[in-house]
Amino acid sequence: MSLIQSLEHATGGLWPYLVVILFGFLPSEVWRWLAVFLVRGLDEEAEILVWVRAVATALLAAVVAKLLLNPNGALAVIPALWRWGALAAGIAGYALFRRSVLAGVLTGEAALVAAGFLAPG
Amino acid sequence: MLMCSLVGVGGLCRDIGYPPGAAVLSTLMIWAAPAQMVLFGSIAAGVALPAIAAAVSLSSIRFVPMCMSILPLVRRPGTPTWLLLLIAHFVAVTAWVEGMRRLPDMPQHARIPYYLGFANTVMLAAAFATGAGYFLIAELPPPLAAGLLFTSPVFFTLSLMAGARRALDWLAIGLGFAAAPLAARLVPAGLDLLVGGLGAGTLAYLAHRLRARGGGRPA
Repeated sequence: MSLIQSLEHATGGLWPYLVVILFGFLPSEVWRWLAVFLVRGLDEEAEILVWVRAVATALLAAVVAKLLLNPNGALAVIPALWRWGALAAGIAGYALFRRSVLAGVLTGEAALVAAGFLAPG
Repeated sequence: MLMCSLVGVGGLCRDIGYPPGAAVLSTLMIWAAPAQMVLFGSIAAGVALPAIAAAVSLSSIRFVPMCMSILPLVRRPGTPTWLLLLIAHFVAVTAWVEGMRRLPDMPQHARIPYYLGFANTVMLAAAFATGAGYFLIAELPPPLAAGLLFTSPVFFTLSLMAGARRALDWLAIGLGFAAAPLAARLVPAGLDLLVGGLGAGTLAYLAHRLRARGGGRPA
């Protein structure tokens, strides 16, 4: 810790930028670098990539579910039923407007913001 | 779309007294809203920096499967490593879902320019949103702030649906959704998404293999 503190002292106003690089960028970016080296020599059709893609897809779906189950900040003010209802509205909008992602997002947003004004607390 | 969650990152950064440039730099360099939230949120909570680095790293392991699935679509024989590293740097949810949805239908030679052009535009807009959030977030009425935070979940869901090409994709989406609450209960926080995603994705893949074998259909 003392090393970090003396570094903080020495860099002064630049310290926040250094924090972003050392404790944000580097620990995050190593995984992207690792992936670049892992896919070397793998074919686009390789079977293992089918599995990797399924994992990435499921992971993202889990991220969405978590964002709606345990929301933070202002989203937590909207009751859970309304959050899921707004997502359903977004999916309905997407399906109705010829599978347009933009139309779906707008429908879902409208439903959620309306819920925010109508269902306080 | 993801800019909206980065508006929140801007607000967080301001709360801990960092300059707006640090918020914008975090978007350009980290390029992962959850990691940025962990970084600034933990600093606000007074967590030691090495522990923060570990938490940031944990939240970004998901880039391994994401990069691994998109890179083979983009690269051509002889694409230099530095370009692959650059392409990988732009991988985050938005570029990934858009890329997985659109790239397969494009000719090989058009993929890298399309991907870099798209990803750069998104990143620039996101950097702008982070800066705007730094100054604006406190001024918004709560329902609109909630709307901003809701953009990511609804956009990600619809993009996954739009990009789903096979039964396997739908299965992975469904199982992933179901895995989140289950993993949140069974696995320590921070690891839950990773374990849930890995479990659900693997389960979907195994089901897909079994079906392919049983029905004699090609995978």
